[in-house]
Amino acid sequence: MTGEILKNLVALFSIVAIPALIFVFLVWGIFKRVKVYEVFVEGAKEGFSVAIRIIPYLVAMLVGIAIFRASGAMDYFTIALNPITSLIRFPAEAVPMALMRPLSGSGSLGIMTELMKVYGPDSFIGVLASTIYGSTETTFYVLAVYFGSVNIKKIRHSLPAGLLADVAGILGALFITRLIFS
Amino acid sequence: MLNYIWLGLIIVGLVVAVSVDVHEQTTNKYRNGMELEAELQLERPFAEEITSPQDAMLIVASERFNTMYNESVGAEVVLQPAAATLLKDGTGTIILHINDQSPRIWKEMSNAAVTKDKLTGKIVSFTRAEDEKRMKVGIVFEPITFVRIKRVTKAAFDAASTAVTIAFGLIGIMALWLGIMRIADEAGAVKFLARLLRPAMKSLFPDVPSDHPAIGSMIMNISANMLGLSNAATPLGLKAMDELEKLNPRKGVATNAMCTFLAINTAGLTLIPATAIAVRAASGSGNPTIIVGTTIVGGLCSTTVGIISAKLLQRLPIFKRQIEAESTQSEPAEEAKQ
Repeated sequence: MTGEILKNLVALFSIVAIPALIFVFLVWGIFKRVKVYEVFVEGAKEGFSVAIRIIPYLVAMLVGIAIFRASGAMDYFTIALNPITSLIRFPAEAVPMALMRPLSGSGSLGIMTELMKVYGPDSFIGVLASTIYGSTETTFYVLAVYFGSVNIKKIRHSLPAGLLADVAGILGALFITRLIFS
Repeated sequence: MLNYIWLGLIIVGLVVAVSVDVHEQTTNKYRNGMELEAELQLERPFAEEITSPQDAMLIVASERFNTMYNESVGAEVVLQPAAATLLKDGTGTIILHINDQSPRIWKEMSNAAVTKDKLTGKIVSFTRAEDEKRMKVGIVFEPITFVRIKRVTKAAFDAASTAVTIAFGLIGIMALWLGIMRIADEAGAVKFLARLLRPAMKSLFPDVPSDHPAIGSMIMNISANMLGLSNAATPLGLKAMDELEKLNPRKGVATNAMCTFLAINTAGLTLIPATAIAVRAASGSGNPTIIVGTTIVGGLCSTTVGIISAKLLQRLPIFKRQIEAESTQSEPAEEAKQ
Protein backbone atom coordinates (compact mmCIF):
# COMPACT_ATOMS: atom_id res chain seq x y z
CA MET A 1 0.00 0.00 0.00
CA THR A 2 2.67 2.49 1.00
CA GLY A 3 4.68 1.24 -1.96
CA GLU A 4 1.81 2.21 -4.26
CA ILE A 5 1.59 5.71 -2.77
CA LEU A 6 5.34 6.17 -3.01
CA LYS A 7 5.31 5.06 -6.63
CA ASN A 8 2.55 7.51 -7.55
CA LEU A 9 4.35 10.25 -5.70
CA VAL A 10 7.53 9.66 -7.68
CA ALA A 11 5.54 9.54 -10.93
CA LEU A 12 3.84 12.84 -10.08
CA PHE A 13 7.16 14.39 -9.15
CA SER A 14 8.74 13.41 -12.45
CA ILE A 15 5.89 15.13 -14.32
CA VAL A 16 6.02 18.44 -12.46
CA ALA A 17 9.79 18.51 -11.91
CA ILE A 18 10.76 20.28 -15.13
CA PRO A 19 8.13 23.05 -15.16
CA ALA A 20 8.70 23.59 -11.45
CA LEU A 21 12.45 23.76 -11.91
CA ILE A 22 12.21 26.34 -14.71
CA PHE A 23 9.75 28.38 -12.65
CA VAL A 24 11.89 28.33 -9.51
CA PHE A 25 15.04 29.33 -11.39
CA LEU A 26 13.31 32.18 -13.19
CA VAL A 27 11.75 33.55 -9.99
CA TRP A 28 15.07 33.11 -8.17
CA GLY A 29 16.76 35.02 -10.99
CA ILE A 30 14.28 37.88 -10.89
CA PHE A 31 14.64 38.01 -7.11
CA LYS A 32 18.42 38.31 -7.48
CA ARG A 33 17.97 41.01 -10.17
CA VAL A 34 19.37 38.89 -12.98
CA LYS A 35 18.45 40.21 -16.45
CA VAL A 36 16.74 36.91 -17.20
CA TYR A 37 16.08 37.28 -20.92
CA GLU A 38 19.55 38.54 -21.81
CA VAL A 39 21.25 35.95 -19.63
CA PHE A 40 19.10 33.15 -21.05
CA VAL A 41 19.99 34.05 -24.62
CA GLU A 42 23.64 34.35 -23.71
CA GLY A 43 23.64 30.85 -22.22
CA ALA A 44 21.51 29.30 -24.97
CA LYS A 45 24.02 30.42 -27.60
CA GLU A 46 26.34 27.59 -26.57
CA GLY A 47 23.69 24.97 -27.34
CA PHE A 48 24.53 24.89 -31.02
CA SER A 49 28.28 24.53 -30.66
CA VAL A 50 27.99 21.77 -28.05
CA ALA A 51 25.64 19.76 -30.26
CA ILE A 52 27.91 20.19 -33.27
CA ARG A 53 31.01 19.32 -31.25
CA ILE A 54 29.72 15.85 -30.37
CA ILE A 55 29.00 14.83 -33.97
CA PRO A 56 32.41 13.30 -34.83
CA TYR A 57 32.53 11.35 -31.56
CA LEU A 58 28.99 10.13 -32.03
CA VAL A 59 29.60 9.13 -35.66
CA ALA A 60 32.70 7.15 -34.68
CA MET A 61 30.96 5.35 -31.83
CA LEU A 62 27.67 4.61 -33.56
CA VAL A 63 29.36 3.39 -36.75
CA GLY A 64 31.65 1.06 -34.79
CA ILE A 65 28.73 -0.39 -32.88
CA ALA A 66 26.57 -0.64 -36.00
CA ILE A 67 29.23 -2.66 -37.85
CA PHE A 68 29.59 -4.98 -34.89
CA ARG A 69 25.84 -5.45 -34.58
CA ALA A 70 25.06 -5.90 -38.27
CA SER A 71 27.79 -8.52 -38.69
CA GLY A 72 26.03 -10.84 -36.28
CA ALA A 73 29.18 -11.17 -34.18
CA MET A 74 26.95 -10.97 -31.11
CA ASP A 75 25.76 -14.54 -31.71
CA TYR A 76 29.29 -15.86 -31.35
CA PHE A 77 29.85 -13.87 -28.15
CA THR A 78 26.64 -15.34 -26.79
CA ILE A 79 27.97 -18.83 -27.52
CA ALA A 80 31.41 -18.00 -26.10
CA LEU A 81 29.84 -16.74 -22.86
CA ASN A 82 27.70 -19.85 -22.53
CA PRO A 83 29.88 -21.60 -19.88
CA ILE A 84 29.70 -18.52 -17.63
CA THR A 85 26.02 -17.78 -18.13
CA SER A 86 24.97 -21.38 -17.56
CA LEU A 87 27.12 -21.44 -14.42
CA ILE A 88 25.15 -18.55 -12.89
CA ARG A 89 21.92 -19.91 -14.46
CA PHE A 90 21.41 -16.80 -16.55
CA PRO A 91 18.73 -17.67 -19.13
CA ALA A 92 20.36 -18.08 -22.54
CA GLU A 93 17.51 -16.21 -24.25
CA ALA A 94 18.33 -13.02 -22.34
CA VAL A 95 22.09 -13.08 -22.97
CA PRO A 96 21.89 -10.97 -26.17
CA MET A 97 19.90 -8.41 -24.15
CA ALA A 98 22.64 -8.20 -21.54
CA LEU A 99 25.37 -7.92 -24.18
CA MET A 100 23.51 -5.29 -26.19
CA ARG A 101 22.50 -3.03 -23.29
CA PRO A 102 25.81 -1.14 -22.90
CA LEU A 103 26.29 -0.90 -26.68
CA SER A 104 23.03 0.35 -28.08
CA GLY A 105 19.85 1.80 -26.60
CA SER A 106 17.70 1.18 -29.67
CA GLY A 107 19.18 -2.29 -30.15
CA SER A 108 18.46 -3.39 -26.60
CA LEU A 109 14.99 -1.86 -26.78
CA GLY A 110 14.35 -4.00 -29.85
CA ILE A 111 15.60 -7.16 -28.14
CA MET A 112 13.53 -6.41 -25.02
CA THR A 113 10.36 -5.92 -27.10
CA GLU A 114 11.05 -9.13 -29.01
CA LEU A 115 11.63 -11.15 -25.82
CA MET A 116 8.35 -9.88 -24.38
CA LYS A 117 6.53 -10.77 -27.57
CA VAL A 118 7.90 -14.31 -27.54
CA TYR A 119 7.91 -15.14 -23.81
CA GLY A 120 5.33 -12.65 -22.48
CA PRO A 121 6.03 -9.53 -20.43
CA ASP A 122 5.17 -11.18 -17.12
CA SER A 123 7.33 -14.26 -17.66
CA PHE A 124 10.68 -14.62 -15.89
CA ILE A 125 12.53 -13.66 -19.07
CA GLY A 126 10.20 -10.71 -19.74
CA VAL A 127 10.66 -9.27 -16.26
CA LEU A 128 14.40 -9.93 -16.35
CA ALA A 129 14.81 -8.22 -19.72
CA SER A 130 12.88 -5.13 -18.70
CA THR A 131 14.73 -4.94 -15.39
CA ILE A 132 18.06 -5.12 -17.21
CA TYR A 133 16.88 -2.41 -19.59
CA GLY A 134 15.99 -0.10 -16.71
CA SER A 135 18.92 -0.97 -14.45
CA THR A 136 21.76 0.36 -16.58
CA GLU A 137 22.49 2.98 -19.20
CA THR A 138 23.91 2.78 -22.72
CA THR A 139 27.48 3.14 -21.50
CA PHE A 140 29.20 3.56 -24.88
CA TYR A 141 26.74 6.19 -26.06
CA VAL A 142 26.95 8.21 -22.85
CA LEU A 143 30.75 8.16 -22.89
CA ALA A 144 30.90 9.24 -26.54
CA VAL A 145 28.47 12.12 -26.05
CA TYR A 146 29.73 13.39 -22.70
CA PHE A 147 33.45 13.19 -23.44
CA GLY A 148 32.85 14.35 -27.01
CA SER A 149 31.19 17.53 -25.77
CA VAL A 150 34.47 18.61 -24.15
CA ASN A 151 36.78 17.14 -26.81
CA ILE A 152 38.23 14.45 -24.58
CA LYS A 153 39.78 11.48 -26.36
CA LYS A 154 41.72 9.82 -23.52
CA ILE A 155 38.86 8.54 -21.39
CA ARG A 156 41.06 6.59 -18.92
CA HIS A 157 39.23 4.25 -16.54
CA SER A 158 35.73 5.47 -17.29
CA LEU A 159 34.95 2.64 -19.71
CA PRO A 160 36.03 -0.26 -17.45
CA ALA A 161 34.24 1.40 -14.52
CA GLY A 162 31.09 1.81 -16.61
CA LEU A 163 31.21 -1.78 -17.86
CA LEU A 164 31.79 -3.18 -14.37
CA ALA A 165 28.76 -1.19 -13.27
CA ASP A 166 26.78 -2.73 -16.13
CA VAL A 167 27.80 -6.24 -15.12
CA ALA A 168 26.78 -5.49 -11.53
CA GLY A 169 23.45 -4.07 -12.69
CA ILE A 170 22.73 -7.14 -14.81
CA LEU A 171 23.67 -9.54 -12.02
CA GLY A 172 21.58 -7.50 -9.58
CA ALA A 173 18.65 -7.68 -11.99
CA LEU A 174 19.05 -11.46 -12.29
CA PHE A 175 19.21 -11.85 -8.52
CA ILE A 176 16.14 -9.73 -7.72
CA THR A 177 14.06 -11.18 -10.56
CA ARG A 178 14.82 -14.70 -9.40
CA LEU A 179 13.87 -13.63 -5.87
CA ILE A 180 10.37 -12.45 -6.84
CA PHE A 181 9.79 -15.49 -9.03
CA SER A 182 10.81 -18.04 -6.39
CA MET B 1 41.62 2.37 -24.20
CA LEU B 2 38.92 3.56 -26.55
CA ASN B 3 41.28 3.03 -29.50
CA TYR B 4 41.38 -0.71 -28.91
CA ILE B 5 37.69 -1.11 -28.10
CA TRP B 6 36.64 0.86 -31.16
CA LEU B 7 39.06 -0.96 -33.42
CA GLY B 8 37.94 -4.26 -31.89
CA LEU B 9 34.28 -3.60 -32.63
CA ILE B 10 34.99 -2.77 -36.26
CA ILE B 11 37.56 -5.51 -36.95
CA VAL B 12 35.51 -8.23 -35.26
CA GLY B 13 32.43 -7.03 -37.14
CA LEU B 14 34.14 -7.05 -40.53
CA VAL B 15 35.90 -10.38 -40.00
CA VAL B 16 32.69 -12.08 -38.89
CA ALA B 17 30.73 -10.57 -41.79
CA VAL B 18 33.29 -11.70 -44.40
CA SER B 19 33.68 -15.20 -42.98
CA VAL B 20 29.92 -15.75 -42.72
CA ASP B 21 29.54 -14.58 -46.32
CA VAL B 22 32.31 -16.85 -47.57
CA HIS B 23 30.75 -19.77 -45.70
CA GLU B 24 27.29 -19.04 -47.13
CA GLN B 25 28.80 -18.69 -50.59
CA THR B 26 30.51 -22.07 -50.43
CA THR B 27 27.44 -23.86 -49.08
CA ASN B 28 25.22 -21.86 -51.49
CA LYS B 29 22.84 -21.12 -48.60
CA TYR B 30 20.47 -19.13 -50.80
CA ARG B 31 20.46 -21.78 -53.55
CA ASN B 32 21.57 -19.38 -56.26
CA GLY B 33 20.84 -20.76 -59.73
CA MET B 34 18.75 -23.66 -58.41
CA GLU B 35 15.22 -24.21 -59.58
CA LEU B 36 12.31 -24.27 -57.13
CA GLU B 37 9.20 -26.13 -58.24
CA ALA B 38 5.97 -24.51 -57.11
CA GLU B 39 2.43 -23.69 -58.08
CA LEU B 40 0.93 -20.36 -58.89
CA GLN B 41 -2.69 -19.50 -58.12
CA LEU B 42 -3.78 -16.77 -60.54
CA GLU B 43 -6.67 -14.38 -60.02
CA ARG B 44 -8.05 -14.83 -63.53
CA PRO B 45 -8.03 -17.92 -65.76
CA PHE B 46 -4.86 -18.17 -67.82
CA ALA B 47 -5.48 -17.57 -71.52
CA GLU B 48 -2.46 -17.18 -73.77
CA GLU B 49 -0.01 -15.07 -71.83
CA ILE B 50 0.27 -12.45 -69.07
CA THR B 51 2.46 -9.57 -70.16
CA SER B 52 1.97 -7.10 -67.31
CA PRO B 53 2.53 -8.42 -63.77
CA GLN B 54 -0.61 -9.92 -62.30
CA ASP B 55 -1.16 -10.57 -58.58
CA ALA B 56 -0.94 -14.24 -57.75
CA MET B 57 -0.37 -16.56 -54.82
CA LEU B 58 2.75 -18.69 -54.88
CA ILE B 59 2.20 -22.08 -53.29
CA VAL B 60 5.16 -24.30 -52.38
CA ALA B 61 4.78 -27.69 -50.73
CA SER B 62 6.62 -27.41 -47.40
CA GLU B 63 8.42 -30.68 -47.97
CA ARG B 64 9.89 -29.34 -51.20
CA PHE B 65 10.68 -25.98 -49.63
CA ASN B 66 12.43 -27.62 -46.68
CA THR B 67 14.59 -29.90 -48.83
CA MET B 68 15.51 -27.01 -51.09
CA TYR B 69 16.58 -24.58 -48.35
CA ASN B 70 17.35 -27.09 -45.60
CA GLU B 71 14.73 -25.36 -43.46
CA SER B 72 11.98 -26.67 -41.21
CA VAL B 73 8.73 -24.94 -42.09
CA GLY B 74 5.93 -26.59 -40.12
CA ALA B 75 2.78 -25.85 -42.13
CA GLU B 76 1.71 -28.01 -45.07
CA VAL B 77 2.37 -25.38 -47.72
CA VAL B 78 4.21 -22.08 -47.95
CA LEU B 79 1.86 -19.35 -49.20
CA GLN B 80 3.50 -16.25 -50.59
CA PRO B 81 1.79 -13.26 -52.25
CA ALA B 82 3.49 -12.40 -55.53
CA ALA B 83 3.07 -10.80 -58.92
CA ALA B 84 3.95 -12.70 -62.08
CA THR B 85 4.15 -12.48 -65.84
CA LEU B 86 3.89 -15.55 -68.04
CA LEU B 87 4.98 -15.17 -71.65
CA LYS B 88 4.28 -17.12 -74.84
CA ASP B 89 7.81 -18.51 -75.02
CA GLY B 90 7.22 -20.51 -71.85
CA THR B 91 9.12 -18.26 -69.45
CA GLY B 92 8.15 -15.41 -67.20
CA THR B 93 9.08 -13.29 -64.20
CA ILE B 94 7.94 -13.31 -60.61
CA ILE B 95 8.18 -10.78 -57.80
CA LEU B 96 7.57 -11.99 -54.25
CA HIS B 97 6.03 -9.37 -51.95
CA ILE B 98 7.84 -10.29 -48.75
CA ASN B 99 5.87 -9.62 -45.55
CA ASP B 100 5.94 -10.70 -41.91
CA GLN B 101 4.46 -14.10 -42.71
CA SER B 102 7.07 -14.91 -45.35
CA PRO B 103 9.58 -17.68 -44.61
CA ARG B 104 12.68 -16.51 -42.77
CA ILE B 105 15.09 -17.36 -45.58
CA TRP B 106 13.13 -15.35 -48.14
CA LYS B 107 13.08 -12.40 -45.74
CA GLU B 108 16.86 -12.63 -45.46
CA MET B 109 17.18 -12.87 -49.23
CA SER B 110 14.90 -9.89 -49.85
CA ASN B 111 16.92 -7.80 -47.40
CA ALA B 112 20.00 -8.36 -49.51
CA ALA B 113 18.15 -8.10 -52.82
CA VAL B 114 18.22 -5.07 -55.09
CA THR B 115 14.85 -3.77 -53.90
CA LYS B 116 13.97 -4.35 -50.25
CA ASP B 117 10.83 -6.38 -49.42
CA LYS B 118 10.80 -7.69 -52.98
CA LEU B 119 12.45 -10.85 -54.17
CA THR B 120 12.50 -11.26 -57.91
CA GLY B 121 12.97 -14.43 -59.93
CA LYS B 122 12.75 -15.89 -63.38
CA ILE B 123 10.06 -18.40 -64.24
CA VAL B 124 12.01 -20.86 -66.37
CA SER B 125 9.07 -23.07 -67.22
CA PHE B 126 5.34 -23.29 -66.65
CA THR B 127 2.57 -25.70 -67.44
CA ARG B 128 -1.12 -25.63 -66.70
CA ALA B 129 -2.25 -27.61 -63.69
CA GLU B 130 -5.64 -29.27 -63.21
CA ASP B 131 -7.53 -26.00 -62.90
CA GLU B 132 -7.11 -23.16 -65.37
CA LYS B 133 -6.25 -20.56 -62.72
CA ARG B 134 -3.47 -22.78 -61.44
CA MET B 135 -0.03 -23.08 -63.02
CA LYS B 136 2.94 -25.33 -62.27
CA VAL B 137 6.08 -23.20 -62.35
CA GLY B 138 9.82 -23.58 -61.98
CA ILE B 139 11.48 -20.52 -60.43
CA VAL B 140 15.11 -19.44 -60.27
CA PHE B 141 15.54 -16.47 -57.91
CA GLU B 142 17.93 -13.60 -58.46
CA PRO B 143 21.39 -14.48 -57.13
CA ILE B 144 21.83 -13.38 -53.51
CA THR B 145 25.44 -12.79 -52.51
CA PHE B 146 27.44 -11.14 -49.71
CA VAL B 147 24.43 -10.66 -47.46
CA ARG B 148 26.34 -9.72 -44.31
CA ILE B 149 28.79 -7.37 -46.00
CA LYS B 150 25.93 -5.50 -47.62
CA ARG B 151 24.13 -5.32 -44.30
CA VAL B 152 27.25 -4.06 -42.53
CA THR B 153 27.86 -1.38 -45.14
CA LYS B 154 24.28 -0.18 -44.93
CA ALA B 155 24.35 -0.21 -41.13
CA ALA B 156 27.52 1.89 -41.09
CA PHE B 157 26.05 4.57 -43.33
CA ASP B 158 22.76 4.55 -41.44
CA ALA B 159 24.57 4.93 -38.13
CA ALA B 160 26.57 7.89 -39.43
CA SER B 161 23.43 9.77 -40.38
CA THR B 162 21.69 8.73 -37.15
CA ALA B 163 24.56 10.34 -35.24
CA VAL B 164 23.92 13.63 -36.98
CA THR B 165 20.16 13.34 -36.42
CA ILE B 166 20.75 12.80 -32.72
CA ALA B 167 23.15 15.72 -32.48
CA PHE B 168 20.80 18.05 -34.36
CA GLY B 169 17.91 16.96 -32.19
CA LEU B 170 19.97 18.02 -29.20
CA ILE B 171 20.49 21.61 -30.37
CA GLY B 172 17.10 22.93 -29.22
CA ILE B 173 16.89 21.31 -25.80
CA MET B 174 20.60 22.02 -25.27
CA ALA B 175 19.97 25.71 -25.90
CA LEU B 176 16.92 25.73 -23.62
CA TRP B 177 18.68 24.13 -20.69
CA LEU B 178 21.94 26.01 -21.10
CA GLY B 179 19.90 29.25 -21.05
CA ILE B 180 18.00 28.23 -17.91
CA MET B 181 21.21 27.03 -16.29
CA ARG B 182 22.92 30.34 -16.97
CA ILE B 183 20.10 32.14 -15.15
CA ALA B 184 20.29 29.65 -12.28
CA ASP B 185 24.04 30.14 -12.20
CA GLU B 186 23.89 33.94 -12.02
CA ALA B 187 21.12 33.80 -9.44
CA GLY B 188 23.28 31.55 -7.26
CA ALA B 189 20.83 28.64 -7.35
CA VAL B 190 23.41 26.15 -8.61
CA LYS B 191 25.79 26.98 -5.78
CA PHE B 192 22.94 26.66 -3.32
CA LEU B 193 22.21 23.18 -4.59
CA ALA B 194 25.86 22.26 -4.28
CA ARG B 195 25.96 23.46 -0.69
CA LEU B 196 22.93 21.30 0.10
CA LEU B 197 24.70 18.05 -0.72
CA ARG B 198 28.22 19.15 0.18
CA PRO B 199 29.29 16.17 2.36
CA ALA B 200 28.26 13.54 -0.20
CA MET B 201 29.73 15.41 -3.15
CA LYS B 202 32.93 16.19 -1.24
CA SER B 203 33.68 12.50 -0.79
CA LEU B 204 32.68 11.59 -4.35
CA PHE B 205 34.57 14.43 -6.02
CA PRO B 206 37.43 15.47 -3.74
CA ASP B 207 39.17 17.35 -6.58
CA VAL B 208 36.24 19.68 -7.23
CA PRO B 209 35.84 22.73 -4.94
CA SER B 210 32.54 22.30 -3.11
CA ASP B 211 31.07 25.61 -4.27
CA HIS B 212 32.05 25.06 -7.92
CA PRO B 213 29.15 25.22 -10.45
CA ALA B 214 30.15 21.73 -11.68
CA ILE B 215 28.80 20.26 -8.44
CA GLY B 216 25.38 21.85 -8.89
CA SER B 217 25.16 20.72 -12.52
CA MET B 218 26.16 17.18 -11.63
CA ILE B 219 23.52 17.03 -8.88
CA MET B 220 20.89 18.21 -11.32
CA ASN B 221 21.96 15.74 -14.00
CA ILE B 222 21.93 12.79 -11.59
CA SER B 223 18.51 13.82 -10.24
CA ALA B 224 17.10 14.21 -13.76
CA ASN B 225 18.42 10.75 -14.66
CA MET B 226 16.88 9.24 -11.55
CA LEU B 227 13.51 10.72 -12.47
CA GLY B 228 13.86 9.44 -16.02
CA LEU B 229 13.86 12.97 -17.50
CA SER B 230 16.25 12.16 -20.31
CA ASN B 231 15.45 15.37 -22.23
CA ALA B 232 16.74 17.43 -19.36
CA ALA B 233 19.43 15.03 -18.18
CA THR B 234 21.70 15.16 -21.22
CA PRO B 235 21.96 18.99 -21.45
CA LEU B 236 22.51 19.24 -17.69
CA GLY B 237 25.14 16.51 -17.86
CA LEU B 238 26.95 18.19 -20.74
CA LYS B 239 26.87 21.44 -18.75
CA ALA B 240 28.47 19.55 -15.86
CA MET B 241 31.16 18.18 -18.18
CA ASP B 242 31.83 21.70 -19.42
CA GLU B 243 32.29 22.92 -15.85
CA LEU B 244 34.52 19.95 -14.98
CA GLU B 245 36.62 20.65 -18.07
CA LYS B 246 37.32 24.16 -16.70
CA LEU B 247 39.09 22.46 -13.77
CA ASN B 248 41.03 20.14 -16.07
CA PRO B 249 44.74 20.99 -16.31
CA ARG B 250 45.36 18.51 -19.20
CA LYS B 251 43.07 19.14 -22.14
CA GLY B 252 41.95 16.03 -23.95
CA VAL B 253 42.50 13.73 -20.94
CA ALA B 254 39.67 12.77 -18.58
CA THR B 255 39.99 13.79 -14.93
CA ASN B 256 39.18 11.55 -11.98
CA ALA B 257 36.08 13.61 -11.26
CA MET B 258 34.81 13.15 -14.83
CA CYS B 259 35.32 9.39 -14.66
CA THR B 260 33.50 9.11 -11.32
CA PHE B 261 30.69 11.31 -12.61
CA LEU B 262 30.27 9.21 -15.73
CA ALA B 263 30.47 5.97 -13.74
CA ILE B 264 27.44 7.19 -11.78
CA ASN B 265 25.79 8.39 -14.97
CA THR B 266 26.30 5.21 -17.01
CA ALA B 267 25.22 3.09 -14.05
CA GLY B 268 21.88 4.80 -14.60
CA LEU B 269 19.92 4.54 -11.36
CA THR B 270 16.28 5.21 -12.30
CA LEU B 271 13.28 5.50 -10.01
CA ILE B 272 10.80 5.32 -12.91
CA PRO B 273 11.95 3.14 -15.83
CA ALA B 274 9.41 4.84 -18.13
CA THR B 275 10.46 3.22 -21.44
CA ALA B 276 10.49 -0.32 -20.08
CA ILE B 277 7.10 0.20 -18.40
CA ALA B 278 5.63 1.54 -21.64
CA VAL B 279 6.89 -1.45 -23.65
CA ARG B 280 5.54 -3.84 -21.02
CA ALA B 281 2.13 -2.19 -21.10
CA ALA B 282 2.13 -2.27 -24.90
CA SER B 283 2.91 -6.00 -24.94
CA GLY B 284 -0.10 -6.68 -22.74
CA SER B 285 1.46 -7.06 -19.32
CA GLY B 286 -0.93 -7.59 -16.42
CA ASN B 287 1.37 -5.61 -14.16
CA PRO B 288 3.68 -3.29 -16.13
CA THR B 289 5.02 -1.43 -13.11
CA ILE B 290 6.20 -4.57 -11.30
CA ILE B 291 9.69 -3.76 -12.51
CA VAL B 292 9.94 -0.45 -10.62
CA GLY B 293 11.26 -2.20 -7.53
CA THR B 294 13.52 -4.61 -9.37
CA THR B 295 14.95 -1.80 -11.48
CA ILE B 296 15.84 0.24 -8.41
CA VAL B 297 17.67 -2.77 -6.95
CA GLY B 298 19.54 -3.32 -10.22
CA GLY B 299 20.36 0.38 -10.46
CA LEU B 300 21.66 0.48 -6.89
CA CYS B 301 23.95 -2.50 -7.63
CA SER B 302 25.36 -0.91 -10.76
CA THR B 303 25.79 2.54 -9.17
CA THR B 304 27.56 1.16 -6.12
CA VAL B 305 29.91 -0.96 -8.20
CA GLY B 306 30.41 1.93 -10.65
CA ILE B 307 31.52 4.35 -7.95
CA ILE B 308 33.73 1.80 -6.18
CA SER B 309 35.41 0.67 -9.38
CA ALA B 310 35.96 4.25 -10.57
CA LYS B 311 37.61 5.08 -7.24
CA LEU B 312 39.77 1.95 -7.27
CA LEU B 313 40.71 2.05 -10.95
CA GLN B 314 41.91 5.65 -10.76
CA ARG B 315 44.74 4.44 -8.51
CA LEU B 316 45.97 1.87 -11.00
CA PRO B 317 49.34 2.90 -12.46
CA ILE B 318 48.21 2.72 -16.10
CA PHE B 319 45.38 5.18 -15.51
CA LYS B 320 47.29 7.32 -13.01
CA ARG B 321 50.21 7.65 -15.40
CA GLN B 322 48.01 9.26 -18.04
CA ILE B 323 47.32 12.33 -15.95
CA GLU B 324 50.82 12.50 -14.53
CA ALA B 325 52.91 11.72 -17.60
CA GLU B 326 51.50 14.55 -19.64
CA SER B 327 52.19 17.12 -16.95
CA THR B 328 55.86 16.08 -16.73
CA GLN B 329 56.06 16.19 -20.50
CA SER B 330 54.75 19.72 -20.62
CA GLU B 331 57.30 21.02 -18.12
CA PRO B 332 60.41 20.70 -20.30
CA ALA B 333 58.47 22.33 -23.11
CA GLU B 334 57.82 25.34 -20.93
CA GLU B 335 61.46 25.51 -19.87
CA ALA B 336 62.48 25.47 -23.50
CA LYS B 337 60.26 28.41 -24.14
CA GLN B 338 61.90 30.42 -21.41
